[in-house]
Amino acid sequence: MLKAIIIDDELYAREELNELLVESNAVEVIAQCSNAIEGLKVINSLKPDVVFLDIQMPQITGLDLISMLDPESMPKIVFVTAYDEYAVTAFEDNAFDYLLKPVESDRLHKTLKRLKNNNISPSNYSAVVTHHLELIPCSGFNRIILLEPNKIEIAMSDQTGVHLLTGDETLTASLSLKILEEKTELIRCHRQYLVNPICLREIKLLDNGSAEIITRSGLKTPVSRRYLKKIKDRFGLI
Amino acid sequence: MELVLLLLQQLSVYLVIAYLLSKTPIFIPLTSISGRNSHRFVYYILFSSFCILGTYFGLSIENAIANTRAIGAVMGGLLGGPLVGFFVGLTGGLHRYFMGGFTDVACTLSTTTEGFIGGLLHLYFLRKGKIGHIFKPSVALLVTLFSEVIQMLIILIVAKPFEQAWALVQAIALPMVIANGLGAALFMSIIQDKKAIFEKNYTTFSNKALRIAQRTVGEFSQGFNSDSCKKVADIIYQETGVGAVSITDRDKILAFIGVGADHHLCGTVISSGYTLKAIESGEIIYVDGYETDYQCSINTSCRLGSVLVIPLLEADGRVLGTIKLYEPKQKFFSTLNRNLGEGIAKLISNQILTGRYIQQKNLLNQAEIRLLHAQVNPHFLFNTLNTISAVTRKNPQKARELIQHLSQFFRSNLKQNIEQVTIKEELVHVQSYLEIELARFEERLSVEINIDDRLLPLEIPTFTLQPLIENAIKHGTSTLMRKGELKVNGYILKKDNNAVVVLEVIDNAGNYCTKGKKVGLGLQIVDKRLKNKHGQQYGLVISCKTDEFTKATISFPLLNGQEF
Repeated sequence: MLKAIIIDDELYAREELNELLVESNAVEVIAQCSNAIEGLKVINSLKPDVVFLDIQMPQITGLDLISMLDPESMPKIVFVTAYDEYAVTAFEDNAFDYLLKPVESDRLHKTLKRLKNNNISPSNYSAVVTHHLELIPCSGFNRIILLEPNKIEIAMSDQTGVHLLTGDETLTASLSLKILEEKTELIRCHRQYLVNPICLREIKLLDNGSAEIITRSGLKTPVSRRYLKKIKDRFGLI
Repeated sequence: MELVLLLLQQLSVYLVIAYLLSKTPIFIPLTSISGRNSHRFVYYILFSSFCILGTYFGLSIENAIANTRAIGAVMGGLLGGPLVGFFVGLTGGLHRYFMGGFTDVACTLSTTTEGFIGGLLHLYFLRKGKIGHIFKPSVALLVTLFSEVIQMLIILIVAKPFEQAWALVQAIALPMVIANGLGAALFMSIIQDKKAIFEKNYTTFSNKALRIAQRTVGEFSQGFNSDSCKKVADIIYQETGVGAVSITDRDKILAFIGVGADHHLCGTVISSGYTLKAIESGEIIYVDGYETDYQCSINTSCRLGSVLVIPLLEADGRVLGTIKLYEPKQKFFSTLNRNLGEGIAKLISNQILTGRYIQQKNLLNQAEIRLLHAQVNPHFLFNTLNTISAVTRKNPQKARELIQHLSQFFRSNLKQNIEQVTIKEELVHVQSYLEIELARFEERLSVEINIDDRLLPLEIPTFTLQPLIENAIKHGTSTLMRKGELKVNGYILKKDNNAVVVLEVIDNAGNYCTKGKKVGLGLQIVDKRLKNKHGQQYGLVISCKTDEFTKATISFPLLNGQEF
């Protein structure tokens, strides 16, 4: 059976959809999330096959959430909305699956049937997703922080995850470096590092052909030979 | 003494001529002081003529002429300035010179000097900012007396032989000083009278025009119809004092007040050929009943004897109606009212256009409000239906309640024709909306309403509170990850002897600061309606602190009869 999760900010909406899915006996609902940040974490940890995703949610919308997911491991998405003329037009145009609230069980069954037949919409959501992230969800000690990308000086990844360095603090994000590179102003300077060009203070060229960047707050990040040329080009250096 | 009387006789003829001239338009420039060259030229010609006239009216005496030439020269200088005075004196003097006699040179010199003295006094008053003094007959008297004394001295110094000059001065000094002084004073008094009449007419004219303008302001804000026209026609009738006033549109009489109102009935179709002609051509038509016969087209025994028909024009020149002023048969149409009539027509045309503009603006406002009422947020509707759908499963009783609230909410939305509701009624509307949102957001929203009971019977424009609350939830609390808190407060604020009613809607999101402080159409209308009704110091004010709160405050005065 397909593993599904429901992401919706309204309790009754989640319950209603859950009931309908349980009745259908076609999928197993393994989790319900009340916001996109929780949803992002759950998707990354539980790897569901399908996500029933509400679009209008506080702070981070369903469309923002998809843009934070890695296309490689993207689950199947079924959009759920009460009313969103613009989004519905886009879904129709791109043949994405969507459900309108209150959800009609006939319509739901059709969608579930397509899911079973592995016939559901393509995983390229670029037509509807957010191209520029305005807030990056991060987790700190027992709290969720929504960080504006321009506050990030350096983003780096290691075995424990992706870390965002603001100069004041270090936060852990649930996004990959690749997504951050695509959806924010950050630029790549190393396989494991991104740097925010507006925070750049100094590029120190090293003997071996690589370099080191020092940011406004004095943070250091390595620049590999591979990315040095791009960075030089970007700042008009020869 | 005999000479004094003779000279005064001549002076009378001289002044009669001046008086007759004062009835002509030539005199108009004399009633005001002006530096314009064209006016100076008129002064020069006029007073030079009087100067020469004074010489001709003189009496030959001992090979010299006792005369009233000085009046023209001094007056010319006084009214026209030193330059005019000098040339008037010179012209009069040269004319005298060619008549010969042993005082010819002395007279030329003295007349020029007299003109110049008048001019110097003119300059003095001008510098002191006392132009009004120039028109005083006493000033004219004194300066002429002084000038004449100077003239006598010049004759004594210049004319030869001295003995003869001395004898002459003894004979003519007194008559000439008296005649010229008196003449100048009377002449100036004629000018002063003319000036007074002229100014009085002018003041009456502008007063009437201003009063009509002032009294008719806003009368057409309800449109160009029979009611507004009757009010305006009445005002014009009272202010101008003409026999009758009528206002028509292109087809029929909208208002008629005054003589003949018994058969010139409102609402009847225009029958007067003159009116139809004025509407057709867009030109003013005047029928004086003398040159052109006037006969009322409705009733042969009508007492009206003359009429002025003035078309009322649209901005693009199209005729939208006429305004007609009548006088009865035994009365003449005053020039004043004829001129005023044209001004009134222009004024009324503008008033009608402004009225129409205001009316359209009001209509637009109403349309905006209706649109707002009808505008139910579809997102709200479908989410509510979804909530009800979910609740039905577990708690049919609660689902039924929610449906009741939703019906109540829509019912109040559809009550579009009510302008004012009590705060209590508005709260019922708000309550049903809140019940639905509370069910929808369940654990994520709390609401606290705290309104002074004394406010409940007060009236506010419909849809004043509801948009504020909807806004606070839609753009405020619903965007929060944490719990949304909504507070609605209502109280009376005493401020400098004024009691102000304050209603506040506060959310704990503070998004107004971060979202560029933009206000939607709904809130703009809330603000506009309160300002229209109570004045600029009232209405809607929004304050905020990022991540803490957004506070929408509306205020309006506690009106008389609502004292607590």
